[in-house]
Amino acid sequence: MARAIELSGLTKTFGDFVAVDDVSAVALPGQVTALLGPNGAGKTTTLRMLLGLVAPSSGTATFDRRRYEELTDPVGQVGALLEASGCHPGRTALDHLRILAIAARLPQEAPERVLDETGLAADARRRVGEYSLGMRQRLGLAAAMLGDPSVLVLDEPTNGLDPPGIRWLRGYLRRLADEGRTVLLSSHALSEVELTADHVLVLAHGRLLRSSTLAEFRAEAGIGSRVRTPDPDRLGAALDAAGHTYRLIEVGLAVDAAPERVGEVAAAHGVVLHGLVGTADLEQAFFRLIQGADRAGQPESAPEAVS
Amino acid sequence: MKALVLAELLKSRSTRTQVALVLATLAFVPWTAALTIPGKGTENVPVSLDDPRLLAVAVGNSFGAPLVLMLLLGGVAFTQEFRYGTVTSTYLVEPRRTRILVAKWVTLALVGGVVTTLTLMVSVPFSAALIGFRGGEVSFGATFWTMTAAGFVVLPVFGVIGVALGALVRNQITAVVAVLVWMLALEQLVITSYPEVGRWMPGATTFVLLQMGPSVDPDGKLLSASAAALLLAAYTAVAVFLALRLTPKRDVL
Repeated sequence: MARAIELSGLTKTFGDFVAVDDVSAVALPGQVTALLGPNGAGKTTTLRMLLGLVAPSSGTATFDRRRYEELTDPVGQVGALLEASGCHPGRTALDHLRILAIAARLPQEAPERVLDETGLAADARRRVGEYSLGMRQRLGLAAAMLGDPSVLVLDEPTNGLDPPGIRWLRGYLRRLADEGRTVLLSSHALSEVELTADHVLVLAHGRLLRSSTLAEFRAEAGIGSRVRTPDPDRLGAALDAAGHTYRLIEVGLAVDAAPERVGEVAAAHGVVLHGLVGTADLEQAFFRLIQGADRAGQPESAPEAVS
Repeated sequence: MKALVLAELLKSRSTRTQVALVLATLAFVPWTAALTIPGKGTENVPVSLDDPRLLAVAVGNSFGAPLVLMLLLGGVAFTQEFRYGTVTSTYLVEPRRTRILVAKWVTLALVGGVVTTLTLMVSVPFSAALIGFRGGEVSFGATFWTMTAAGFVVLPVFGVIGVALGALVRNQITAVVAVLVWMLALEQLVITSYPEVGRWMPGATTFVLLQMGPSVDPDGKLLSASAAALLLAAYTAVAVFLALRLTPKRDVL
């Protein structure tokens, strides 16, 4: 049922600008593969070449050795979410999906099924213009799942989702991969990838910098800490004074230091901690890779979502 | 192909814009027909009240706004996909883009048939009643039926040209402004001021085929009906060829 995605020497140039540079990689069935990179890294162009929307300058992008245009039942084989805004605002969600279902010769009940799966059944007859960004993202996912495909290609699927939505998406993608489907998603929200992906492909300046399992990547990343405290400002100042970098996260601080060291600093300054866990800091590893690419003479590109 | 056409038909029905455009256009139909029908005793008119061609000319003139509508609907059928990003899902469902083009052409041809029927349903009774009210001759002669048949060809053809234009231009505002400026200003100006040049323009062919000729070309400088039909076919062929040639190659970014 499931199909592997294979990129081979994939290259795209726009005039003198090389958007994607000789990228070769594989995404396997039963796994969530994350295409990771800062804005402008070439993630979207790579996915659009994979889906036949952009013609590669050279190289190939295939599903089970077939280009997207060669698939006999594209909607039944590959589901894709490329932009949450890909709906007419004056059309209802149900009509949007019906149009796709009719064109793809899918069963009449397919739109209702995916609306139900993505939690939009109650809003099916509302016009998409009235939807929040998160609801439009869910609608995009519903469209991707319309043909119950064995491969999913998702570009920044967490965009616009609120925390419950992100949690839902994480579980949803995990379940799809566990069913044996191939899931390829792009993201610059590194914390999301850390919790979702089995395999990571790191892209910067159009070049593939790393292809490895998340476990390998995590092992290389070294140890960091996540800490919960009622007094983040004082802890931040103490960490600053001790020479440790940190950033504010939803539940406290993420610190580039082992938990033992963070505990010592907190104790020395009398800061109360409510939680302290060690993490492999994927973002830090990612940042190091990107910095390496920058130093290799590429134009400056400040990755977002990285402190 | 049938599935793609059904999907395109649902696209055109599922938003209010297209329906509103059709209704607004139909509101112009009696007005344009009325402009052609002279009052009793009015002199120096292109077609007099007792001219047996009057009904055909009045109804033909009422196709003016629907012609613009068809070009707009055709253009919007493609440019709207780019404006709202739906072109991505359209091409993902059917990666062979020429089939999407053909489906849109078939759909706009069908819509053209519906718009022609609606235009006739409004224009013919209104024009016949006004001509009768003003004491003129209501004649359903060969000229009328030729014009009616031409309506069922020319409006769908304008829809087809509109789709090709939209596929080539892709930007909705550019396409709409271009259509409106071309049809409502440039062509009207050139055809009436420089008929030797204007008779070769696409709009001039419709003047001939839809019997608008006597209203705008009293000197008879427009092409013959057969030449106009050939010219319109040539324009359509060029537009279709360019759209078929360029659409499959263009990146959707």
